[in-house]
Amino acid sequence: MNAQSVPSVFDGTANTIAVVVLLLEFLMLRSALLRAQVRLYAVQSLVVSILAVVVASGRDVPELYALAALSFALKAVIVPWLILRLMRDASTEIAGSGALGVASEIMVAIVVAAYAFFTVSLLDIHSDVLPATALSLSVAVVLVAFVLIIMRRDVVSQAVGFFSLENGVSMVSLVVAAGMPLILEVAFLFDLLVAVVVFGVLMRVHHGRTHSLSTADLTRLRG
Amino acid sequence: MHASTGILLLVLAVLPALCALACLVLPHRAAVATTVVVGLVCLAAAVGLVPAVLDGVVSIGFLRVDALSVVFLLPTGFLYAATSVFAVGYLGDEAAHAAQADVAEQRLFHRYSRLFFVGINAFAWSMFCAPMADGLALLWIAIEVTTVVSALLVALDNTEGATEAAWKYVLIASCGLGIGLLATIVMYYAGAQTMGQSYDLAFEPLVRHAEQLPATPVRLAFVLAVVGFGTKVGLVPMHTWLPDAHAEAPTPVSALLSGSLLAVSFYAILRYYEVARITVGDAFPQRVLLVFGVASLLLAGLSLLHQGDLKRLLAYSSIEHMGIVAIGVSFGAPLALLGVLLHVLAHAAAKGNAFMCAGVIVRSYQTKQLGSIRGVLERLPWTGPVFLASVLALCAMPPFGLFRSEFAIVAGGIGAARTAPAAILVVLVTLAFLGLLGALVRPVLTTRPAGQEADVPATGDGARLGGWMVLPPLVGMVVLLVLGLHPPAELSQLLRGAAGQLSGTVS
Amino acid sequence: MNMSLAPWLIQVAQVGTIVLGAPLVTGVIARVEAMLQGRHGPRVLQPYYDLAKLLRKEALAPSGTGPFFWIAPFVAMACYLTVPLLIPVLTTYALPLGFMGDILGGGFILALASFVVAVAAAETGDSYAQLGSSRAKTFGAITEPVVLLVVFTVAIVTTTDLPYVLGATVRSSPDQIVRPAHLLASAALFMVILFETGRIPIETHTGTTEFGMIEEARPFEHSGPHFAVLRWGSMAKQLILFTLFLNVFVAPWGMSSTRALGDVLLAVVLLLAKACALGCVIAVIDCSFAKLRLFKITEFVAAAFLLAVLAIFTLYLGGG
Repeated sequence: MNAQSVPSVFDGTANTIAVVVLLLEFLMLRSALLRAQVRLYAVQSLVVSILAVVVASGRDVPELYALAALSFALKAVIVPWLILRLMRDASTEIAGSGALGVASEIMVAIVVAAYAFFTVSLLDIHSDVLPATALSLSVAVVLVAFVLIIMRRDVVSQAVGFFSLENGVSMVSLVVAAGMPLILEVAFLFDLLVAVVVFGVLMRVHHGRTHSLSTADLTRLRG
Repeated sequence: MHASTGILLLVLAVLPALCALACLVLPHRAAVATTVVVGLVCLAAAVGLVPAVLDGVVSIGFLRVDALSVVFLLPTGFLYAATSVFAVGYLGDEAAHAAQADVAEQRLFHRYSRLFFVGINAFAWSMFCAPMADGLALLWIAIEVTTVVSALLVALDNTEGATEAAWKYVLIASCGLGIGLLATIVMYYAGAQTMGQSYDLAFEPLVRHAEQLPATPVRLAFVLAVVGFGTKVGLVPMHTWLPDAHAEAPTPVSALLSGSLLAVSFYAILRYYEVARITVGDAFPQRVLLVFGVASLLLAGLSLLHQGDLKRLLAYSSIEHMGIVAIGVSFGAPLALLGVLLHVLAHAAAKGNAFMCAGVIVRSYQTKQLGSIRGVLERLPWTGPVFLASVLALCAMPPFGLFRSEFAIVAGGIGAARTAPAAILVVLVTLAFLGLLGALVRPVLTTRPAGQEADVPATGDGARLGGWMVLPPLVGMVVLLVLGLHPPAELSQLLRGAAGQLSGTVS
Repeated sequence: MNMSLAPWLIQVAQVGTIVLGAPLVTGVIARVEAMLQGRHGPRVLQPYYDLAKLLRKEALAPSGTGPFFWIAPFVAMACYLTVPLLIPVLTTYALPLGFMGDILGGGFILALASFVVAVAAAETGDSYAQLGSSRAKTFGAITEPVVLLVVFTVAIVTTTDLPYVLGATVRSSPDQIVRPAHLLASAALFMVILFETGRIPIETHTGTTEFGMIEEARPFEHSGPHFAVLRWGSMAKQLILFTLFLNVFVAPWGMSSTRALGDVLLAVVLLLAKACALGCVIAVIDCSFAKLRLFKITEFVAAAFLLAVLAIFTLYLGGG
C-alpha cells in the first residue's frame, strides 16, 4: 500500500467515474422497480460514455469521441427506450423480486467486488491509459452484474444485468485496450444491439406465453 | 493461391446470407428449393477448400482460412446440406397438413416456414463466418451472431419448453460470450504490449509474436476464453443451457447446434490454445482443458444413466463428446490432436444423424419420452436401423469414424505419458456407453405390445415425404464408414496439417 | 485591526462560535425549508427566542427519576463544548488543545453525549422517549462502524487521524479532492450526518408523528431550562458535524491562517456562511425526499457502510 503516492487529477477523475459506475451497479441490485432499474442502466451507460470522453481528451485518442457518442446513442438512449417500450406493452408487473433479501444481496455483492479488487490487483496488469484501479473497478462491475443476473427472478432484471455486464466489459476495454481499432469497437456495439433485439423478442415471447415477466416458473426443464 | 479458391471463400461467406435474405420473400416451396441448392453448393465449396489449403493459407480481406479453419468448416458444410434436405421432409408433412386446413392455419404455417428458413440460413452463415474470420475480434463477433440467431431458432416452436430453453440459452450464452469478450480484450492488451496499438488481433502476427507476449495476460485470456467460449461448447459447469436448447429446438436446428455450433465454439478455444501454448508453455493450457474435459465427461456420463427424454439423451451425449475433445487437446500429442480433429468431423456426422433420426421417431410416436417409445426397428424400417447404427457410432463402436478418433486420442495420450488421464477417459467413455445404450435398447429393439397400433397414427418413414428425411442420415452413415475405414488421403493430410498447427510440430 | 489574539482566546472563540452560531444555522435551515414549501416560515432568529423562553420556565421531572435525569443535559452540553476544541473550526493551524484528542476521540465524546441523553430518556419510563433512545442505539450500531471506516480511510490517506492534518492534506492540491476514496468517505460521512441530525430521509425534523421519531423523541420528558439545554446541545452537535464535514472533508478553505483579529472574525463569518449553505442543501433534501419506513433505515445506513467500504477498497488498491 502506497499511501504517499497521490494519483493525478486525471487518474482521480477516471477512478471516480469508475466508482460511480460500480455504485450504479449496486443501486441496480438494490432497486426493486424494474423501470428504475432500466433508468439506472441508462445512467450507467451515460457515465461509461463520459469516461470514454475523459480518456479521449486526457490521453488524446480522438477515435474515442466517436465511440463515446455511439455508445451514448445506443446504450443510454436506444436500448433503455426499447426495454421501457416493451415493459409498457407488457404492463403486468412493475417490481421484480430477488432470491435473497436486498441486504444479503448487497453483502454478497460486496464480497464479490472485494474479490475482484484483490485478484485483479494481484494480476499486475498495467495500462498507460488509465490507472489500474479502474480495471479492478470494472471487473467488479462485471462480477456484481453476475450477482444481479443470478439473484433476480425476472426477465427484465436479468436482461439489464447482462447489458450492464457489457458496460463493465466496455470499461475494461477502455482501460486496457483504448487503442483497439474503432471498427472493432463499433462492431462490438452493433452486436450488442442485435443481442438487445433478440432479448427483446424473447422477452415478448416469454410474456406472451406466461403473461408475466417472472422467471420463477421456468422450472420445467431439468435433469 | 488461385483465384478460384478465393471465390470458394466468398461463396461460403456470402451465399447463405443472400439465401437468408431471399427466404424473407420467397414462398415455402421456393425457399425449400433455394436452401437445398445453397446447402449443397456450400458443402461443395467447403470440400473444395480442402485441397486448396494444403499448400498454404488462403485469404481475402477479412477472410482467411488455414487447415484448422477448414476442418471446422466441414461439419457446418455437411450438416447445413443434410439438414436442408431433411427439412424438405420435416416441413413437408406440415405443409401438406396445412394445405388441407383453413386459411388461418396456412398463414401460420407460412410464417413458421419463413422464419425457419431465414433462421437456418443465417445460422449456417454465421457458423461459416466464424472459422473464416481473420482475427480473434471478428471470431468473437461471428460467434455472438451464432448465439442470437440460434436462440431465435430454439424459440421457434413457441411451446412452453421452447420459450424456457431459449431464454436460458440466450442469457447463459450471452454472459459466457461477455467473458469471451473479456478474453478478446485481454489478448488484445497482450498483443498491443509487443506489437503496438495499431494491432488488430489478426491470427498470423499473434502467433508469430506469441513467444514475446507477456505471460500473465495470455494466461488470463486463455482461462477466460475457455470459460467464455466453453459456455457455448457446453463444458461443465457452464453447460446448463445445452440439454434444454437441444431438446426443445426443432430437429434440424438441434442437429446443427450439436454437430456444428459446439464445434465452431471449440474452434475459438483452439485459437486461444494455439497462442497460449507458445507463450506460457504446454502444461498450463493443457491442465485447464483437462479439468474441464474430465468434469464434462463425468457429468455427462452420469446424466446419461438416468435420462428419460430422447433428445436430452443425445444432448448429454454431445457434452460427453465435447469433454472427450477437450481431454484430447489436453494430451497435446500430435496423434491425439489428429484424433481430436477427426472426432469433431465424425461427431458432427454421427450426432447429426442421430438427431435427424430422433426427429423422425419423435414425429412418429408424438412423444420424446423414452418410456413411451417401443419397437422403433419394426415401425420405422429405414430410420430404425440408421438410428441404431448412429448410436453405436456415438458409442465409438468400430467400424465408424468415432472409434478411429477416440482410439487415436487414447493412443496419443498414452504415447505422451498421460496414462492416468487416458485411463480416466476410457472408464468414463465406457460409462457413457452404458448409459446411452442402456437407455435406447428397450425403445429400439423391443417389439410393440399388441393393441398399441391403433391409437398411434401411422406416420412412419414410408410416408410421402419420408424419403427426404431418410436420405441425409444414410449419407451420414456412409461418411461415418468412410471416416472409420479409410479416410481420403487429402483429408488425412488436412487433419495432419491442422494438428501440426496446434502442436507446433509442422510449419 | 492587526491585533493578534492569544491562542487560548481563539480556542474560546471556536467554542463560542459553535455554541452561539448553532441556533442561527438551525433557524436558517427552518426558514429555507419553509420557503421551499411555499410558506413564510419563522424568523431566522426564532431558535434564540425559543431557547430564551424555555430557560425562563420551570423545570419538572417525571416521578421516579433520579439525579441522572437532571444532570444529563448538562453532561451532554459539556461534551458538545469539548469537541470544538479538537477540530479545526476557525484556524488552519492546530491550537494548543487541538492535539488533546484525535478524530476518534471526538467521535467518542459525541457518542458519550448521545449515550447520556439516551439513558436519561430511558430513565423516565415514557414510552416515546424510550422508543427514541432504543431506536437511536439500534441504528447507531450500524452508523458507528461507518464512522470508524471513514476515519480509517482518512487515516490511510494521511497516515494520521488528526483532523487538522487531514484538512491540510485536502487543501494541499486538487488531486486530493478527486480521489475516489476521499469522495466516497465524504459521501458516507454526509449520510451519517443526515442520520445523526435526524433529517429526512430518517425522520421529519419538525414533525410530531411520534411513531417515526428517533432524535426528536428523546427529550420528550424534559422541560424548561433542561429542555433548552438539550435543544441547544443538539443544535451545537449539528453545527459540529457540519464543521467537521466542511472544514475537514469538503471545503477546508476560508479559515484563518494567522492569529490576527480580522482574520479570525472573517473565519467566523465564513464558517457560518458555509454551514448555512450546507444547511440549504439539507433543506432541499428535506423537501425533495420522503421519510423512509423505519425498517428501511437500515438500508440507508447500509448504503453509507457500502460507500465507506468501497473507499477503503479503492485506497487499498493504491489508486484511490
